[in-house]
Amino acid sequence: MVLNAVPKGGYAGNILDVDLTARTITTRPTLPYVADYLGGRALAARIAWEEMPAGVDAFDPAALVIIATGPLTGTLAPTTGRTVMASLSPRIYPKAWYTHSTIGGWFGPELKYAGFDAIVIRGAASSPARLEVADDKVQLVDAADLWGADARQTQLELKRRLGSETQVLAIGPAGERRVRFATVQHSEENAAGHSGFGAVWGSKNLKAITARGTGGIRVADPAALLDEVLRFGKFRPTPSYMATLPPGVAQKRKPICSQACTFNCGVSNYGFLEDGRAVPGQCVGGLAWVTEDVMGYTRYSGGGMEVPAAPNFGLKKEAWLLELCNSLGLDVWFRLVMIPWLIRCRELGIDAIRGYPIRPDEREWFEQFMHDLAQRRGLGDLFAEDLLRAMDALEGELPAELIALGRELEFGFGYPAHREGRFWDEEPLPFWVFSAMMYASESRDPTIGTHQSGLMLADWVLFDSGEARPKLRRVAEQAWGIPDAFEPSFEGKAPVAVWIQNQHMLIDSLPLCDFAFPLLTRPIEDHVQWRALTDVIGDLDFDRRILAAVTGMNIDREGLTRISARAFALERALLARAGRSRPMEEGLAPHFRLPCRADGTSIDAAGFSRLLDEYFAERGFDLKLGWPQPEGLERLGLAEVAEEIAALRRQREAMEPKCP
Amino acid sequence: MVAKLTLVTHPELCRDCQACTLACSLYHEGECNLSLARLRVLKDMESYRFEIVVCRQCDEPDCMAACPNEALRLNDWGVPVIFQDECLLCGACDTACPYTALFYDHRTGRYLKCDMCAGRDEGPVCAQVCPVAAITVEPAEVP
Repeated sequence: MVLNAVPKGGYAGNILDVDLTARTITTRPTLPYVADYLGGRALAARIAWEEMPAGVDAFDPAALVIIATGPLTGTLAPTTGRTVMASLSPRIYPKAWYTHSTIGGWFGPELKYAGFDAIVIRGAASSPARLEVADDKVQLVDAADLWGADARQTQLELKRRLGSETQVLAIGPAGERRVRFATVQHSEENAAGHSGFGAVWGSKNLKAITARGTGGIRVADPAALLDEVLRFGKFRPTPSYMATLPPGVAQKRKPICSQACTFNCGVSNYGFLEDGRAVPGQCVGGLAWVTEDVMGYTRYSGGGMEVPAAPNFGLKKEAWLLELCNSLGLDVWFRLVMIPWLIRCRELGIDAIRGYPIRPDEREWFEQFMHDLAQRRGLGDLFAEDLLRAMDALEGELPAELIALGRELEFGFGYPAHREGRFWDEEPLPFWVFSAMMYASESRDPTIGTHQSGLMLADWVLFDSGEARPKLRRVAEQAWGIPDAFEPSFEGKAPVAVWIQNQHMLIDSLPLCDFAFPLLTRPIEDHVQWRALTDVIGDLDFDRRILAAVTGMNIDREGLTRISARAFALERALLARAGRSRPMEEGLAPHFRLPCRADGTSIDAAGFSRLLDEYFAERGFDLKLGWPQPEGLERLGLAEVAEEIAALRRQREAMEPKCP
Repeated sequence: MVAKLTLVTHPELCRDCQACTLACSLYHEGECNLSLARLRVLKDMESYRFEIVVCRQCDEPDCMAACPNEALRLNDWGVPVIFQDECLLCGACDTACPYTALFYDHRTGRYLKCDMCAGRDEGPVCAQVCPVAAITVEPAEVP
């Protein structure tokens, strides 16, 4: 229930509308969206539903790019440098649909300081352009002189021209050439990565957006905000699983970071390139993850085979490759999925494809391959279409085993396999079941929905199952009244999957960091404390209180869940509009027949189907297509969405073969 | 006499999270606004180096000496503070400060300067919130 829906703080007040084709810039107020959608991902879903035409491709000028902050962005609330980007993803296979990404750092805050909560971009510029926001002065500027520059050089040049405090989003050559996993980069370490939105920018001739703001964000209750932040900061910020890391990695003290990640985890280390330049350790494939220890430990499995650990070129060389990825504007995850595939090529005696040599154990080769991807040269042009499309092109040309491996590595509609217990992560039952339900129902891989809710807890189980199971049983009972929720079984998991999804919709809409929230377990100092504690449940009300302090909107948990459920239903409706439905999602089942790396568990197609029955029933969606039902949509205030979904159902029924 | 304290910065630990500046403006101005903070965190993206600019609470403050209207005076804790009603906005203090630690806010037409959160029991809020101890409170170097 919303007790006070008029914000007294947290919002800049306006949304920018930019039509690149018409070269017009207008504004509209944020307030009409606030009570039902808050901001960020939920706000983006509403705008996309209302304004993105059905049936368009990611590279169609009619595709929107939405950049949306939330009420906490740019405030002192912890981890609130985050901003959401949403559009149609060209990476998604077999065809683009609407999805979202989050990007950290300083751009979103600066945009709000300039007076804007979001930017909606439509159309395509006739020649390279950039958008310049400087407080209330907003203009499109010719960017022909920047076209071809890498993402880092573009940012440095724009900072030279506009001032070092200017914050920049930019694409590199990969985005310009519509590489399907091209990123939008910000600063050194931040990217809207997986979904290939950089390629959408490239298709619009949009090279960069700059923001500089000299205003601020009003806070409804400054004393309450400061009090919450300081109380939160008294804890060491240890996400539970990080206590399993060896001592000596980035021992940060408090989770009060606002716009840069300073969490007490391995991803916030500094690193150095071979030329001595310092670089930040980076999330996902970053320095902290690609240490010799981690890479030596990680073995890829799945796809019916096991592939050796990837070669590690050493920290400085790995840091350089990571920097190159960011500069070219390639999703760093491409290496994580392609390395095992390339290694398997070599194991099978394939040392060249279409005349292009395959030498993944040489750093220089990898560097050249990355340039060729970004520039779409040689074999790079084929793989710039992403792994699944490359497998289609190479089918019959390479051993069937390799084609099968490539398809498993990006089994989730083109997203890298992750958090599903088979390839990268060891997630024992039931954690991979939550992920399976999320893969089948969300617009993208559920990585960002499972960091705190799944990954952290799974690591405790892996670390010490005997200690973890009873503690997590207490957590499940206290959080949901379902003590069996974390038991290693397949039944009764849907309520938790839905809870995780709703929590993460909220986190992406405020937004907060998904590594830190929701606080399902309390921060843990070390193993000694972990063993001594009986109750490890965390502060699940923190997000609500911090939202109230910043905005003055006193929304209870039921009201917040309703906002999340509404936005999730909209995202699901956007998928329905793009033609996605349960029959496609049943196609993910074979991946989960592969044994889980952690415990060997798996599920057959019938079992997978039962999981989806349970999930869609819990959501109140229909069991045939997995789409929201009219009555559910109307309860969420989405009657007009119900009408369109009903029309889509009638269309599908008309196309179904009739029995004589 | 209360022992005089100052802020000591350790920019090599900084990651530019801006918690210090946001807490500063929140405490002093009731909003999150980098332009209203009494300190600045600057980043050089080229070299990935950071600078934390804040008043060092000099023993013989050049800012006070430069003020033609004596609008900068020591408070009970030995910290120079700006009496806004008496400030002529001439910028002499800003020019004189060797650390560029006075900031002019164009929107409100005021010079801003760190007062060590005078009277706050927990001490300066920036040091309290810094997640990496890049700002610490230390005794000032006065007898």
